[in-house]
Amino acid sequence: MTSKANILVVDDEPQIAEMISASLGVHGYSVSIAYSGEEGVARAGAEKFDLAIMDIQMPGMDGITALGEIKKVDPEIEVIIATGHGTMGTAIQSMRKGAFDYLHKPFEIKELLKVVERALEKKKFNDITKAIFSTIRPEEQLRVIIDSVTRILKADESLLALADKEGRLRTAVSAGLEDEAARNSRLEFCSRLLALPEGQALKSVLPVENPGGDPRFAAVAGIEKVKFSLFLPLMEDDRLAGLININRDEDEAYFTEDDLQRARIFGSLVSLALRNSNLYRQLQETQGQLIQAEKMSALGQLAGGLAHEINNPLSGILGLTQLVLENTPKDSQNYTDLKDIEKAVFRCKKIIVSLLSFSRQEKTRVEQVSVNEAIEETLTLCARQMELQRIKINRHLAPGLPPVSADFQQLMQVFLNIFTNARDSMPGGGELTVATSLLKDPAGRELIAAAVTDTGYGIKPEILDRVFDPFFTTKEVGKGTGLGLSVCLGIINLHKGSIKAHSSPGGGSTFTITLPV
Amino acid sequence: MGKKVLIVDDEELVRNYVRRALASRGWEITEAADGAAALKIVVGGCFDAVICDLKMPDMRGEEVIRKVRELCPGLKIIAITGSVSNIKTPLAPGVEVEGFLIKPFGIDEIRELLGRVTGA
Repeated sequence: MTSKANILVVDDEPQIAEMISASLGVHGYSVSIAYSGEEGVARAGAEKFDLAIMDIQMPGMDGITALGEIKKVDPEIEVIIATGHGTMGTAIQSMRKGAFDYLHKPFEIKELLKVVERALEKKKFNDITKAIFSTIRPEEQLRVIIDSVTRILKADESLLALADKEGRLRTAVSAGLEDEAARNSRLEFCSRLLALPEGQALKSVLPVENPGGDPRFAAVAGIEKVKFSLFLPLMEDDRLAGLININRDEDEAYFTEDDLQRARIFGSLVSLALRNSNLYRQLQETQGQLIQAEKMSALGQLAGGLAHEINNPLSGILGLTQLVLENTPKDSQNYTDLKDIEKAVFRCKKIIVSLLSFSRQEKTRVEQVSVNEAIEETLTLCARQMELQRIKINRHLAPGLPPVSADFQQLMQVFLNIFTNARDSMPGGGELTVATSLLKDPAGRELIAAAVTDTGYGIKPEILDRVFDPFFTTKEVGKGTGLGLSVCLGIINLHKGSIKAHSSPGGGSTFTITLPV
Repeated sequence: MGKKVLIVDDEELVRNYVRRALASRGWEITEAADGAAALKIVVGGCFDAVICDLKMPDMRGEEVIRKVRELCPGLKIIAITGSVSNIKTPLAPGVEVEGFLIKPFGIDEIRELLGRVTGA
């Protein structure tokens, strides 16, 4: 063990206190002594201790009171009560106040050491539990898990692999494995195990001795180094979600029954923590969508009011312009100018209608709608911004497509999101191509596919499958919520369609949406 | 004598151009800037048509339309509005109009529609 525990001995009899201190010191523990209950409480408040060994009968503050006070200043400390006149009553009283265990004086050092070790083991698990549950950020949580398991099982190396959507294992985190080759070797080790009948039935820990000489793992590169292995499955709703491989490189460093027990407890802790954070993320996702819906509702109300305010003066501009036009010779400059004003009003009108149909907040209303029309309406909304950013819009909309059952506003929301992302990825200009077509799925059902391609900077392959995750964003803080595409995914799923992203860095991105006819 | 139309809209700008667009086509125009004024005018005179905005400060256009219908059953009504929450069913249930225009509309649109509903 790299850092031995910090222990506080509280006893008013100096000889006993020093005897305990010396025996623990021999075993590498760092020990401090307090000669009264009051002093013990003060020390625990000033310094971090893992464990206190507390005498019961002391002048001034007695051990039971001191136990309660110490737990107040440091709720995480473990306390062992030592009692010379041990009645069952004081023992029970101390356990109720949160003592880990009690010892009857006089006790043997061996006995003391055993209780101390058990108390520290519990403390360690408590600390690990706290660490694992304290974060739901996947990278951070997996890092805590792998570091903890490596430490408590005194392993030289370990690797945590998670199953991807296709069920293939992928390295998530590792400890003590320096290079890619070493990590790939252990990943292969895990995959081989899962391919075996004993791997498929894996529900609890499985030790493997000398895997290098085990024909089941023949030709796994670099595995000879490992002397003792342990596999720990991570379960999620009775399904294998991942696997931890824990390895020791030393001869004779076999995993004891105690180790296996620790691993089992750890495994169930980790499964629980992963489940917990999954649920939490789902909650966040739902909250995010609610926030988005709330925003849309506010925008809808705003747009409705705004449209009325704008349409009245706009109507005046249009009418008066046309009245003047009637008395203006057609070959004059004034006539051309007035015609331009008239055109500008029509453009404004179109934009307002699109904005209204986009933001109108109604319950989901599924109708037979035209995908091309939804695209056109949405393009009306962003055409000007695209133009300003020197983005050319190419329309390849197949004529005569059958309608789909969909909510028109929601479809517009999806396209607006994708168009906006495309625009943001082309700050220096480029081309946005929107193409629709009629396809058939393998079962012969008709689908409408809409592909939106930009010539922007593309999406890195390692984040491509995360772009639909809620709160995932590559935009600067404050520029994006990271919710746009996750809301799109939600909407498209609701319509029983699919949305996929393809990209190559520097080569632009394509988002393909399919909707059943 | 030309046919008579009442224009009800709180927006002076809109009344202005609608009046001029129709006057040049021989319509005799009366204007009202709110619902109460409109009802008073309708009680006192006879009109072939009413062009009525749906959103005014004192009362909803639909209410004006309903009362005008009670007073003069044969009169033709065109509703105009700048805010449409639902294009397919823009009016409250039970309110019927002969014509409907969404702002901004042009002079030819209102001339054509008014001519069509009144048979002028």
